Amino acid sequence: MVAERVVKDLQALGVDLEEVPYERRGYCFDGRVQREGILGVAEAFDQHGYFIEDVLCVDFVNELELVYHFNHWEDPRRFSIRVRVKPSDPEVPSISSVYPGAGWHEREIHEFFGVRFKGHPNLAFLFLHPEIEAYPLRKGHVPIPEEDRKVLEGRQPEGEEESFWINMGPQHPSTHGVLRLLLKMRGEFIEEIEPILGYMHRMQEKMAEVRTYIQYYPNTARLDYVGPLAFSMCFVGALERCCGVEVPERAQMIRLITLELNRIASHLLWLGTYLLDLGAATPYFFAFDDREAILDILEGLTGSRLTYCYYRIGGVYEDLNDGFLQKVEEFIGRMRKRLKDYDELVTGNAIFIGRTRGVGVLPKEMARRFGVTGPNLRASGVGYDVRISEPYAGYRIFGPEIAVRGGCDCYDRYLVRLDEIRRSLDLLEKAIRRVPEGPSRAERIPKKPPEGDVYFATESPRGEVGIYIVSDGSDRPYRLKWRSPSFSNFVSFTELGRGMLIADAVATLGSLDLVVPEMDR
Amino acid sequence: MEILLRDFSFILVFSVLAIILAIIVFVIPLFLAPRTKGEKIESIYECGVDPLGSAWIRYSVPFYLYALMFVAFDVDVLYLFPIAVGYLKGEGGKEFLLLLVFLGLLVLPLAYAWRKGVFEWRYGGR
Amino acid sequence: MEVRGPLIRFGLLEELLNLARANSLWPMTFGLACCAIEMMATTAARFDLARFGAEVFRPSPRQCDFMIVSGTITRKIAPVVRTLYEQMASPKWVVAFGNCAISGGPFVFENQYNIIEGVDKIIPVDVYVPGCPPRPEALIEALLKLQEKLTGVRRFPVPERRW
Repeated sequence: MVAERVVKDLQALGVDLEEVPYERRGYCFDGRVQREGILGVAEAFDQHGYFIEDVLCVDFVNELELVYHFNHWEDPRRFSIRVRVKPSDPEVPSISSVYPGAGWHEREIHEFFGVRFKGHPNLAFLFLHPEIEAYPLRKGHVPIPEEDRKVLEGRQPEGEEESFWINMGPQHPSTHGVLRLLLKMRGEFIEEIEPILGYMHRMQEKMAEVRTYIQYYPNTARLDYVGPLAFSMCFVGALERCCGVEVPERAQMIRLITLELNRIASHLLWLGTYLLDLGAATPYFFAFDDREAILDILEGLTGSRLTYCYYRIGGVYEDLNDGFLQKVEEFIGRMRKRLKDYDELVTGNAIFIGRTRGVGVLPKEMARRFGVTGPNLRASGVGYDVRISEPYAGYRIFGPEIAVRGGCDCYDRYLVRLDEIRRSLDLLEKAIRRVPEGPSRAERIPKKPPEGDVYFATESPRGEVGIYIVSDGSDRPYRLKWRSPSFSNFVSFTELGRGMLIADAVATLGSLDLVVPEMDR
Repeated sequence: MEILLRDFSFILVFSVLAIILAIIVFVIPLFLAPRTKGEKIESIYECGVDPLGSAWIRYSVPFYLYALMFVAFDVDVLYLFPIAVGYLKGEGGKEFLLLLVFLGLLVLPLAYAWRKGVFEWRYGGR
Repeated sequence: MEVRGPLIRFGLLEELLNLARANSLWPMTFGLACCAIEMMATTAARFDLARFGAEVFRPSPRQCDFMIVSGTITRKIAPVVRTLYEQMASPKWVVAFGNCAISGGPFVFENQYNIIEGVDKIIPVDVYVPGCPPRPEALIEALLKLQEKLTGVRRFPVPERRW
């Protein structure tokens, strides 16, 4: 298998590799390398077809540790490569020439930790506002030096004869949240895209270091407000993994049912807003009406419409009430009839096809280098789904069938999401007949997690969500990092959007299904 | 002569009423609307941030060609109005033929522009 | 920023104009975060804000009457909020929707560096809607309260307490 070949190459490069138990840590191989060797390591992974999952930094006070996660679509055994640098000399070679997606994560590490990356094309600050004084995620107060402060303003656009800069700003009906894009236009074509994020940066990772695990838990629902249960599952699953808590089977099936209902609700919201961007107002009302049906079911169970705090470590908060499974079954019947309406209204519509066919083509190699996951990847012909490669909750009992299409364009992304709704309905139909009796919560959970780090990944409607928790044995996390699917999906747009008409850019941005707060955290 | 004067008096009344209406629409808010004086009320709207660069740039040629086509056809419609009024006064056959010739001559440049690719956006300019 | 009142002002005309304004308030789409989804759900078919006059959601501030600030105000977006508020034409109102817009919401902790605790530190607010996120019925109630502020008369009876 691929992993063994990579292990041989890495050991030849001098990486100190060891295999770690996946059930406790969430990754399979842990490697340490000197900072000069990281570029060679990245090239070795690239040759064997690995994709970059995440790049993050942890501040142990007398050294900074950079962690690179690599994973493969067919052989999903995660590699975690670490580089340690001293705070007095925080410089590391950049791997953005091999993996452009990593370049964006490196930009984020630069602005939150002060690590400098040699060879990076553009280290301008992305998230933070110009009056910030110190690097936010460092443990002490480390002020930002003068030469970096000049870079806080971002690249100033210089006009040329033929092109002009236009601002697709934070307040825009089609950017799905507060996202700002500086577009260099030539006529109606986009030449270059410079995004400025951070308009919704709510300090989620800093807050995790200040609050205890239970106090932080409601924040997980506010990261992705359209599909919050996947993020909740990620957080709770990570703690269960590192503490070794056994979740009862009834709770696992309840989690599966709620996760799939949430996935359908998220895809319906995407459908409504995407078609509203393209100019169709009717599917918006249909989609929101169906979504209200799901929200009624979930509200009857959890008590909230949008930001759920339903899972607990070891199970769920309250058991199912009477009539819940009955309501889900009625909903499945209703939704199947409604899907015929969507097909009639939208799928064969000539204007819709003309707007989305052949637009925003995301080839497989580009998706790999940027770390794109989720329905965007499955529309490019790759059948990678975390529910199958790393099963969690009830997916160990029966996994879903995944929908894959080969066209790579916006129309195929639409078809993949519609297929996913159908697959979720099939899975729900099987699951509601198999909810066993039993407790809905584990008996004992430890008060504090053991020291060490853990990674957990789930599949949100947007892609792979990951959480990396470093714990120092107390009841607060030492470092908590979210691997956000929208961030990895979005950075591929900076490459995709070159040479596109601006109307096509709106269609592509909508089809990538971005939610900005999980990008900005 | 009287008929001519009568026709022109209709036009005079019509234009006076139009001017009065335009003036009323300007005058009513002057009396009834509150006025804001602030820093940004008159700035250009660009999604909430200060606009980048100035608006005096070199626009690319396809925008101009679209505008040209639009203006040409707008003027055509203007000519069709008196034709529509005078159409009823004749017999039918001869006027219809004249109208077809008129419209045909107007469609020819449109067809030429279509063949030349005015309505397509090509990257890299033309 | 000063607002000069209209030149001609008498009671009946003011009442008439306020009645007309209250029944056709046009909101501006300023959805920032999670509360934006509840705002969108309010305009959809089940809760239908359009039947109260708030039919058209315009993205441009020149064409709307009031601004529903729904979501967290970060330091980076604060100047944008201020600019958009100033670009709106008088008379204008602001609804602070959700806990984050009222006072920073769940994101306030000691030594926080990036959010502004409440949108009323930047712009004047007329109606506050608490909740995280508030239900769509709360937004409808906020609109009715705003209409009551304009006309002086509450349009629909206040829902009676059942407990």
